[in-house]
Amino acid sequence: MLRECCDGASELSLAAPSVRAALGELEQRYPSLYRSVCYENGAVRRHVSLFVNVDHIRDRQGLDTPLRPGDVVTILPAVSGG
Amino acid sequence: MPERIIVSIGTRKGLFVAEAPKGRGKFTLRGPFGSGVAVYTTLIDTRGTPRLYASSCNSFFGMKLLRSTDLGKTFKETRSTPAFPKEDGRALANIWSLEAGSGKRDLWCGVEPASLFRSDDGGDSWQMVSGISNHDHARKWQPGAGGLCLHTILRDGDRVHLGISTGGHYLSEDGGVTFAASNTGIGAGFVPDPYPEFGQCVHKIVGHRDAPGRLYLQNHGGWSDRPGIGVLRSDDHGHTWRSIAKGLPSDFGFPIAVHPHDPDTVYVLPLEPQTRTCPGGMPAVWRSDDGGDSWRRLSHGMPRRESFFTVQRDAMDIDELKSPALYFGTTTGQLWIGRDGGEDWSCLFDSLPPIHNVKVAVV
Repeated sequence: MLRECCDGASELSLAAPSVRAALGELEQRYPSLYRSVCYENGAVRRHVSLFVNVDHIRDRQGLDTPLRPGDVVTILPAVSGG
Repeated sequence: MPERIIVSIGTRKGLFVAEAPKGRGKFTLRGPFGSGVAVYTTLIDTRGTPRLYASSCNSFFGMKLLRSTDLGKTFKETRSTPAFPKEDGRALANIWSLEAGSGKRDLWCGVEPASLFRSDDGGDSWQMVSGISNHDHARKWQPGAGGLCLHTILRDGDRVHLGISTGGHYLSEDGGVTFAASNTGIGAGFVPDPYPEFGQCVHKIVGHRDAPGRLYLQNHGGWSDRPGIGVLRSDDHGHTWRSIAKGLPSDFGFPIAVHPHDPDTVYVLPLEPQTRTCPGGMPAVWRSDDGGDSWRRLSHGMPRRESFFTVQRDAMDIDELKSPALYFGTTTGQLWIGRDGGEDWSCLFDSLPPIHNVKVAVV
């Protein structure tokens, strides 16, 4: 579903110093993808999880989690629903 | 191309489109579109080249609007959806209503939390309507069971009627710039004041182009100590309202519809107020041919027992043929048609996902 928002790509390369900056980059390049991940007030959607490498960002510094070259940010739907 | 009936069916698991020749013989079904994602509102916009719109409300990835220019054979996402300004702090939780505006590509959209947006380019960009979205009352509105939603947008020239649950009826007389609560005669059973200035749980409002000023309203009724507040009529553009519930088995219900060629003929689908299902397990639409003075039960062809479904606020509509047919969708996934103005009912589709929304147009 998210791939439809970025021309079918399963991975994107971004240069950003933090998760927040990476999302800002997404907002510019792929607004539909950004809207799928974040509410319009900038918060990450309740049922979306962001990981930096293997760590959920809530266990790091949230949106201010720093990124280094080579880090992988993964967007996954949270396991919920019915 | 000969005229056809198009029925858009918004369900919990995506959008379906049913199509039939004008004679309403065999309906064929397409979909689901936006598969797996709930659709709470649809619009068949018949101005110029027909366009079909549907909200696609994904609890994981947010809201989208789908648009079709080929009568619901294919859909594409619009360039944007309504969104609150970043500094506003609110976030879009659902899209509840879509209506055509006055300009050729104008659209109006009601959302949760209760707010109104307008587009002048067919849904590719949206602007929040501050007059209602930032109304002084807005912070005092409370969510109903479906959320705090702006579910009804009814336009009549410079007048714009809005239905908000729970906020009540709001009226603009300047084309949608400013709005005022207009609830005189609309009761509430869940607050100490039986007739508050605002805060009513209005379920649906309909009007008629041939009867300016006439409106019908399905309110949250079903209160034994405040009887009759559930089905109402206005004859002064929604400034005052009076009960027309006498004769109905229940004044609780969600949808209300008016005959396309007779403003005195109005339809409701009464539900048992506690369970919100068909009274006694016997579904029926009730019709008044005299503007609500009297009512008649229409159930020929419907189950006579053991049917406890719910029909939601936007899940009943009526087509505009000379002898119109009603259509309603149930939370148990059935789409029913009531030919000859509701005299003769049959089930068109029996096993769809739970149905939120039904709209019909002759194109």
